[in-house]
Amino acid sequence: MHQKLSFYVDRDSFLHHLNPLTKLTLVLTLVILSFLGLSYWLPTIIFLFIIIPLSFLGKVAQEFFNATVKLLLPVVGFLFVMQAFFHPDGTQVIFSIWIFDVTVESLSFAYLTASRILTMVASFLILLLTTHPSDLMSDLTRRGVSGNLSYVITSTLQIIPQMQVKAGTIIDAQQSRGLETTGNVFNRVKAVVPLVGPLVFGSLVEVEERAIAIEARAFTAPLKKTSLREIPDRAAERAARWIFIGVIIIAIGLRIWLL
Amino acid sequence: MKIEINNLHFTYPGEIIALSGINLSIESGEKVAIVGQNGSGKTTLVKHFNGLLLPTNGTIRIGDWDTKDHSVAELASRVGYVFQNPDEQLFNSDVKSELGFGPRNLGYDDDRTEELVEDAIELTGLDNYRDTNPYDLSPTWRKMVALGSIIALDSPIVVFDEPTTGQDAQSVEVIARIADELHSRGKTLITISHDIDFCAENFERIIAMSEGEILLDGSVLEVIAQEESLATTFVDPPQLTRLGKELGFDQTVNDQASFLGAYRLSHEQN
Repeated sequence: MHQKLSFYVDRDSFLHHLNPLTKLTLVLTLVILSFLGLSYWLPTIIFLFIIIPLSFLGKVAQEFFNATVKLLLPVVGFLFVMQAFFHPDGTQVIFSIWIFDVTVESLSFAYLTASRILTMVASFLILLLTTHPSDLMSDLTRRGVSGNLSYVITSTLQIIPQMQVKAGTIIDAQQSRGLETTGNVFNRVKAVVPLVGPLVFGSLVEVEERAIAIEARAFTAPLKKTSLREIPDRAAERAARWIFIGVIIIAIGLRIWLL
Repeated sequence: MKIEINNLHFTYPGEIIALSGINLSIESGEKVAIVGQNGSGKTTLVKHFNGLLLPTNGTIRIGDWDTKDHSVAELASRVGYVFQNPDEQLFNSDVKSELGFGPRNLGYDDDRTEELVEDAIELTGLDNYRDTNPYDLSPTWRKMVALGSIIALDSPIVVFDEPTTGQDAQSVEVIARIADELHSRGKTLITISHDIDFCAENFERIIAMSEGEILLDGSVLEVIAQEESLATTFVDPPQLTRLGKELGFDQTVNDQASFLGAYRLSHEQN
């Protein structure tokens, strides 16, 4: 009955109270910094000394570590293997397997790429864990992002758990009509049409109902809309956002002139 | 077929206690309505009857089967469960094959399936629609198709989840007639409903639930007379019962016939 709509964890913390745009700007700053290549260890430093403390500040450390491990370990592992074996130029061979040489250069490149991806995904995770999707979207819409775009994003986030609930009910209803859905392969194949059929028909009907429902609330009206959700935005946060943007500009400048 | 529930407890994931210590036995051929506010545990309870939910603690037996030892599909031969929303189960291209889906699942041969489907078509009045695609029918008729698809299972126990929601007076009457017919064939009927008038007019025993426990359990007249207890689970007695009480009738009334009877009686006395 209780389905998670998103990564969002409802807690009371400093990060939760920040304006969504401030968090988004911070995340983008961190991501740009780690991808600019100002320093080899910068992504690692950002991850260890900014993102991890932020997860504690947002009181979502446990969820953060769980999600990071689940999402990233396979990706980073795969990346390491691919880069280590297929990185084109490397001279200092550490060891060889068949025709593949694992070199110092390939390993260090793999580490750099992995740490960048880690920083990028982890900083977005912090944003998602501490920001309700509708807050983010209504704030962005208020600032002029197209309502269509935010509808597509929020409805996509919501449609998956809704489909899961619906699929659960359909499975219950068909089992109640004597359909075996578990056991051998034959049973499972036979069960596909009775389960998928109502799900697809139902979803098609729902699309129409959704369209009517949002139009009944004047979705396409060409006026500026007000929002029921009050999203606070303090002067200090506006200042912080300009500072982040300043940091980005300086970093890009350094990248261009110094390196 | 007897339903026996012993000290049934059920907790949803996340420590949400839905049922705490239900003891209940329903004899073969009874007509039982379960009422109570949303979240009182009605649906959780009946979902145990055909094994959709298994007890966290305690046992539930359908005849000689413990629901723990049998799959939902196996239990479908004993307990038919009519879901609220027909759109969450219909998938065949015509009514006839939709009704035949259940009997074929239970492994009945063609002759028996044909016989059961024809019987269900007759009972639900779907005669003119046997080759129609269920999705071309109105919601009222789709509900009849869903109902028919369970009737065709020919199970000794039939559970209706909110059979009258969204139905007009005419189709409520049809549902009541179907319930009567199934009852006369000796089947056990169980309904969960917010429609207390429907329950009082068509069922013999009412179980009122509140916060995962049984609040009241007795004959219709016994239960609907307990206005104060029922109020704790946000159930109002039927309109006629309340009217009868306002008019000062000596006995509790549950339907038009008993209301008129009591009305005449009180007139003669005056």
